[in-house]
Order: sequence, then C-alpha cells, then structure tokens
Amino acid sequence: MEVGRLPISASQRGKLISAGYTSLSSLSSLSPSDLAKDLNIPESEALEILKVASLTSRLDKQDGNHAFVNGAQTAWDMLHEEQLFPRITTSCADMDEILGGGINCKEVTEIGGVPGIGKTQLGIQLAVNVQIPVEYGGLGGKAIYIDTEGSFMVERAQQIAEACVVDMSEYNDLLRKGNRACQVRIQPNDILENIFYFRICSYTEQIALINYLDRFISEHKDVKIVIVDSVTFHFRQDFDDLALRTRLLGGMALKLMNLARNYSLAVVIFNQVTTKYTEGSFQLALALGDSWSHSCTNRVILYWNGDERYAYIDKSPSLRSASAPFSVTSKGIRNSASNHKRIRMM
Amino acid sequence: MAVTPENLLRRPLTTQKCTLGCPVLDRCLAGGIPCNSITELVAESGCGKTQLCLQLALYAQLPLSNGGLSASTLYIHTEFPFPFRRLQQLSRSFCYSHPDLRCNPCDNVFVHAVHSADQLLDTMPHIETFLSEPKAQLPIKLIVIDSIAALFRSEFDNTPFELKRRSSLFFKISGKLKSLAKRFGLCIVVTNQVVDYIGANEGINGLRLGNFGSLYSSGRRVCAALGLAWANCVNTRLFLSRYEEVIGEDKDLKEVEDGDYLCRQTRRQLSVVFAPHLPDCSCEFVIRKEGVFGVG
Repeated sequence: MEVGRLPISASQRGKLISAGYTSLSSLSSLSPSDLAKDLNIPESEALEILKVASLTSRLDKQDGNHAFVNGAQTAWDMLHEEQLFPRITTSCADMDEILGGGINCKEVTEIGGVPGIGKTQLGIQLAVNVQIPVEYGGLGGKAIYIDTEGSFMVERAQQIAEACVVDMSEYNDLLRKGNRACQVRIQPNDILENIFYFRICSYTEQIALINYLDRFISEHKDVKIVIVDSVTFHFRQDFDDLALRTRLLGGMALKLMNLARNYSLAVVIFNQVTTKYTEGSFQLALALGDSWSHSCTNRVILYWNGDERYAYIDKSPSLRSASAPFSVTSKGIRNSASNHKRIRMM
Repeated sequence: MAVTPENLLRRPLTTQKCTLGCPVLDRCLAGGIPCNSITELVAESGCGKTQLCLQLALYAQLPLSNGGLSASTLYIHTEFPFPFRRLQQLSRSFCYSHPDLRCNPCDNVFVHAVHSADQLLDTMPHIETFLSEPKAQLPIKLIVIDSIAALFRSEFDNTPFELKRRSSLFFKISGKLKSLAKRFGLCIVVTNQVVDYIGANEGINGLRLGNFGSLYSSGRRVCAALGLAWANCVNTRLFLSRYEEVIGEDKDLKEVEDGDYLCRQTRRQLSVVFAPHLPDCSCEFVIRKEGVFGVG
C-alpha cells in the first residue's frame, strides 16, 4: 500500500486508508478542503498530507525515469508547487497586487527605504499576517523576527495583531453569517507568542544567529517567514575592510536563500538607504553596495511621493516594475486612503 | 549570544516608558520616552531640547507607579557650560511637587562632559562599567547626550573620505548605545540641532524623512543636522519647533520709536517625525520657570 510509506502519523495513515485513499495517485488531484472533509481533520493538516504525498510521488518518479540528478525538479513541478503555496499578504491590496499576491515563499525579498517610511511597520505586519490560518487563505505559520535596530515595539505588534483578528472575524461574519462554530480561534496573544523574536546587538551575533537558524527552523518547521530588520545596521559600523564585508554579507545572503528554499519559507530583509556619489551628484541608493544588490531575488523600494507612501518593484525575476501607494495606519499597513487612482505602471 | 528567541508575551506588553513630567506630553508620546531604544530630539537652539532633557533627568527618579524609572541619570553634555542653575531651579519645583522624595534630586544626575566623537567612543567602556557597578542608590536607566550634533559639526571636512569616517562613527556610537540600552533596559535620549534647508526640491536635498514634507522653525525651513546616515541610527525622532506669533501692539512703544512695537509670543510645538510605536501627532507646549508643559 503506497500510503503506508508516507512520513505521516499513524492516525493520519489510518484515516486515509479507512477513507479509501490507498494509492498516491488517488491523492494527487485532491484539494485540501475535500480531503479535510473526507478525513474529518483540519484543513491545514490535510494540506500537509497532500504536500507530503506530492513530494513522495515526485521522488518516486525521479527514481524511475528522469532523475539523473538527485532532487532535480522539472519547471512544471516547480510551477505547480509555487501555485500550491499561498503568498503572505501585506494587508495592502495594492501592494499585494504588484507583488503578485503578496510576499512569496522560497524567495528572498529585500525591502529598502528611508527612515520613517514604514519598514519596521511592514515587518511587524508580515510577522502577524504569516499566521493567518489556512482557512482564511493564510499560511498558518510562525515568524522569526530578527531585530538589529531595536525598533520592534511589542505594543505596536499587539495593535496590529488585534486589527488582524478583527479583520478575520469580520471576514468570518461575512462568509458564514454568525455561525458560532467557526469563530476565529486565534487571539492577539497567540499571534505574539508565535513570533520568535531575536534582538541582535553586533554583526558577529547577526552572523552567528543566521548560521544557527537552520537548526532552529528544523526544530520549528512551522516557521514560514524570517524577517531581518535590518540587515544593514551592524554592517555600517566597523568595516575598514570592505572586501571582508562583502564576503560576510554574501555568505549570509546565501544561507538565507538556502533556508528559504529548504524550508519553503519567505525571507524578508530590510535595508537602509544611503547616498551614492555618481557622475558628479549624490543619488539615493540602497546601502551595502553593488555586489549586495545581487544577493536578493526580489527588491522592493519604499519611497515618498508627495504626501503618500509608495512601494516600487525594483527587481524581480517574475514581476514587472510597478508601484503602488500604501499607508501606515493604527491598524497596520493598509491601502492608501486617497487611492482611487489606478496603479501606475512604470 | 542570544540564540533562544524571546517570548514576546513574557515581556511587558507595553515597552517601559519614562514620563516627561507632564500628562499632556506623555499622552502625545503614549506614556513618555521608551526604554531599549534611542529617542532623538531635533530642534534649533532655544526650542527647549535641554529643558526637556533636564526635566526628564528629574522625573526618571520617580517610582515606576508614577511613570518614572526609579532611576538616576547619566547626562553627557557636549555644549558648554552645563546648565546647573536651571537644573537646580527645576529640581526645587520638582521637590515642591513631590515632597515624599528623601534626597536632593540633583544627587541622582551624573554629569559628564565630552568634547569629541572619538572621546565619546573612548568613554563607552567606562560608561558600561559605571552602569554595571552602580555607585548611586538608584540604578542608571536614562542616558542623555546633549547634543550629538556638537560632536560632529566642526571636526570633519567635506571630502568623501571624511564623510565616510563620520558616518561610520555614527553607526558605531549608535550601535554601542543601543546595545547598552538593550542590556540595561536604558532609555536613551540624544539631542540634535537643525541646519537651514538650502536649495529647491532637487536631489537628496528635498529628501523627506518621516511624517512631514518639510519642517519649519522660527519661520525658516530646516532639516535635522547630520544627514541621512544619522537618521538611520535613531529609533524615534521628535521635532521641537517654535514660531513668533503677533498678539497685539504696544501703544507706549509705538509713540516712542518707530521700531518694533508689536507684542510677540513664542509658541512651541513638539511633533513626532517618525517612531515605530507612535502615529503622526503633535502637541503644543510652553516653557515656564517650573518646567516644560504641554498645552491642550
């Protein structure tokens, strides 16, 4: 029996078999909600089973036919898998739209901007939003927040978490008109508890922590986002040897990229803005230099346009350059209040 | 090495704050100046930066139940002389309103003079020892640097190399201060000066930082000194501004001379430029003999 080989719990296996799912192919075209209904288990668990099953069947295929490199994936499989993974919403519909639905898992996204533009606010928002349960279209994951600058404020995180819970219950009411069984189970305090917060005070600590993350995440597989706020701060202090700095940063970026891929999680790193002297004038640019700018898959720049905050996709292999307004409200990141204009394509 | 994450529920759900000694100002700042981070007061001279810092140094001594930190203060001054008389004056009215205090509040304010950025960095290890082996009855929980700008204004040339050295010093000082703040739960306040804003909205000159498109004080457009690099080094930036308001004419003076016969009143405002925990807000304040007070 094929399901016998799946690395899942005995009770899950029992449920699968008694519901009639014995072969991997019987699981291949199933939606998580159907499976959840059939087995009478939560949807998140069903999703987990389906993921395991699809991985196993893929490995089987590779052993047989076309796997001359172990672990190789076809582009088709990758596309399928990417579609399977929900994105992490920013809570600003316009920003989600230019990001192709939100922050993508398995990728490293760099976000830069001037002080006060809302980098930390966006970081806290993502740490909260990654926890939106699967039944609300979220990931139901946990967050790692690496604070290098000391700007993370618990009261602000709580405020944003509360607003997120309120939004979810409104969504609930809208969908299932006061069905008591489906009340939002997650509470603001649960959200705070599921943010693993690290405060880092030097660049050596930062490197050590990022080296250690692999072990930490292998013990906490439900972590779905790693936020570094900011990657820059400690690397602007003491580096006379810029080559060393570049090497250290490159190594760190590589580790983060591996984490993103191996654990299917999103990595978001914040960067500061600095002035760069080119062709006789000072221009704004993200800090840490040119070689660093190759380190991240996606690059988003936050900037002021008049009185409005905007996000701009500066670099991405799959998204086109576009910008979208957003605002920072008491509830967190939201659509810009004065936004009735269309998104401007650049 | 911090390899175990902090459980956010295990710390107090609001960051510890130090009262400014006025409920109106405290309300504007959601309780006062936060611990574990750097708060910057930006203003031209005569706006009340030092006044606010001195007041903070006194009110930090109040017990936690009264919004203080139950702590003494290390006051690092870089502009001379240190305003001892004003501190004395403020402490008298502080004692008057808090009669249950046993000792002279001035005894809990440690004053240290620093003349250059390098000297400040050299002092850091001493500060660390001073913090870990408290000499005073109350532990030190507040460090004031008044002002950070004075350390950097003259010493550096306007060459790329010097500018780089300067910003590297910013990050070193800020990194050190933040790590002390984290280790000892300190509240850190630095003051900064302003420079006149020159040029039109071109290039980086018109760069907007925080909630305001432009900052005005005494009718001039200004921006915080030390530039973009330093702005990355502070967690919270507050701006104090002032302007003269004409409130009437002085008849006697008008007859005597044709000069200035208008009666003016200085109005002052505190605004949040950026802060991780505060919305965009402002509060008007006045400076009296007894201290700084919010209005409205």
